[in-house]
Amino acid sequence: MTTRRKVLLGGVGVLALGAGGLAGRRIWLDREPAALPATDAQGRVVWQNWAGMEHSYPAQRAAPASEAELAQVLRSAPVPIRPVGAGHSFTALVPTDGTLLSLDRMTGLVSHDAAAMTATVRAGTRLSALGPALAAIGQEMPNLPDINKQTLGGAMATGTHGTGKGITALHGQVTALMIVTPAGEVVECSRDVRPELFHSARVSQGAFGVLSEVTLANQPLSRVRKEVRLVDTEALLKDWPALAARHRNAEFLVLPFTGKSALITHDVTDEPVRPRGPDQDADTLMSLKTLRDVFEFTPGLRKQLASAALADIPPEIAIDEGWKLLSNERPVRFKEMEYHLPIAEQVGALREIIARIEREATDVFFPIEARIIALDDAWLSPFYSQESGSIAVHAYYKEPHDWMARLAEPVLREAGGRPHWGKLHSLGAAELAALYPQFAEANAVRRSLDPQGRMMNPFLQKIFG
Amino acid sequence: MRRLVFALPLALAACEAPPQPLTPEQSAALKPADAKLAALYDSSCKACHVVADSGAPLTGDRTQWDARWAKGEAVLLQHALVGFGAMPAGGQCFTCTPADTAALIRFMAGREQ
Repeated sequence: MTTRRKVLLGGVGVLALGAGGLAGRRIWLDREPAALPATDAQGRVVWQNWAGMEHSYPAQRAAPASEAELAQVLRSAPVPIRPVGAGHSFTALVPTDGTLLSLDRMTGLVSHDAAAMTATVRAGTRLSALGPALAAIGQEMPNLPDINKQTLGGAMATGTHGTGKGITALHGQVTALMIVTPAGEVVECSRDVRPELFHSARVSQGAFGVLSEVTLANQPLSRVRKEVRLVDTEALLKDWPALAARHRNAEFLVLPFTGKSALITHDVTDEPVRPRGPDQDADTLMSLKTLRDVFEFTPGLRKQLASAALADIPPEIAIDEGWKLLSNERPVRFKEMEYHLPIAEQVGALREIIARIEREATDVFFPIEARIIALDDAWLSPFYSQESGSIAVHAYYKEPHDWMARLAEPVLREAGGRPHWGKLHSLGAAELAALYPQFAEANAVRRSLDPQGRMMNPFLQKIFG
Repeated sequence: MRRLVFALPLALAACEAPPQPLTPEQSAALKPADAKLAALYDSSCKACHVVADSGAPLTGDRTQWDARWAKGEAVLLQHALVGFGAMPAGGQCFTCTPADTAALIRFMAGREQ
């Protein structure tokens, strides 16, 4: 059976034979990053994020099993107290020399209301476990992010989102929260009860206390048809607004230096189940890397060869419950910057970023991801009062990512973008206050909850001023 | 007699059936006998080590683990603690002690007993 990997590698292979010198250079560049010491001089074990870019040696690790235990940790543990979900954030939200706080013992479904189609879930539940738990009660979240290893609390804290015209990020479907404040007070909040806390703490970066329970407004479990097809990038960019409106969920991955993009759509269907096949994304990605390794210094030839090799790949189709298809395994670690732009700015900014990368960063091989997210009313949500088109750039975990700040971030900022809280950005309080109309109000709520800054690490001090 | 004592384990080893691959469902059905380890495993390692597409060796599948195990427990523990290739540092278990991590590696590699 023809696969993306076989076709791409076949085409590359012919010319690869003559490029052994470049491959040798790449073997050197491909070495594993230097490992940190597993423990420091005090015997503290290292914590690192998923990408391996951030680390610390926390003095204490806490895993409370109840709200009472969580309250006790927040009241008395060494500071700064930093909650960690799955460590998937690329920014320094988590590093602490004080207390690393995990909700891995506060997981699972608490209750549900079949008529109202709501479910209350403990905030430490991983999204990968939440899908089947909700399916068992006939419910599903309206959307899921690309990766589902995150905890619900961590995903909400960073404004994690999926894609789809008219579909909000995860926190947009939340109707109530239980939060344990830095003072150890357990508080329930919603639009009607402590609304200032509800609006601040839905997207909190873990700076307003720690969520213990979340009530989700779900929808009936449905079956979707997922299609992944390779298309010409130029045609896709022209058709993107219409495409996004035509499908329940639509996103695309621009494959730089190929002229092609992978368009991914999900639509509700009653067709028979066709389980997803083995993942091809990782193999395709590494084939793009091989192409880069050999043709990095001849981008014209790189594009010509890739475009021809990718011309006739059949679409991948899977039909199943949404929680099985919307998220993906991502076994290749990477680093990422993502901004959320006013929707009208997305395509123009994307064109400029593609042009800059193809002109000035020929070592890039990871796709550029574009998604669409509906507005919501959480004060620190990147989607606050603004339908958004997101643009994300990536780098292999072994390779430099300085080009993101140099080539992509200025374009994203110029277009009025707001950064994803869990992904790379350079902004501080002054810039953020200009982008978020309710920033000062949210920060005032935070200060009232945590006047001593018990949850502030250096990164958050830069964010909140 | 002395020769027999030495030969017996070798003979038994020779009779041991070669490891068979597991399906993801078979792998997902396994869990550590120790309750604390089982809870840690459930909330961390299992997210990847029972999913074929994750690229992680499936729990209990010695056809995938034996070559790794041959590197030595110390090497595997070091990779798990500081990250290596697709394996993120700490294996997504942020409350595991190094002893917990070592025990979880033994379990996943099919060497719990």
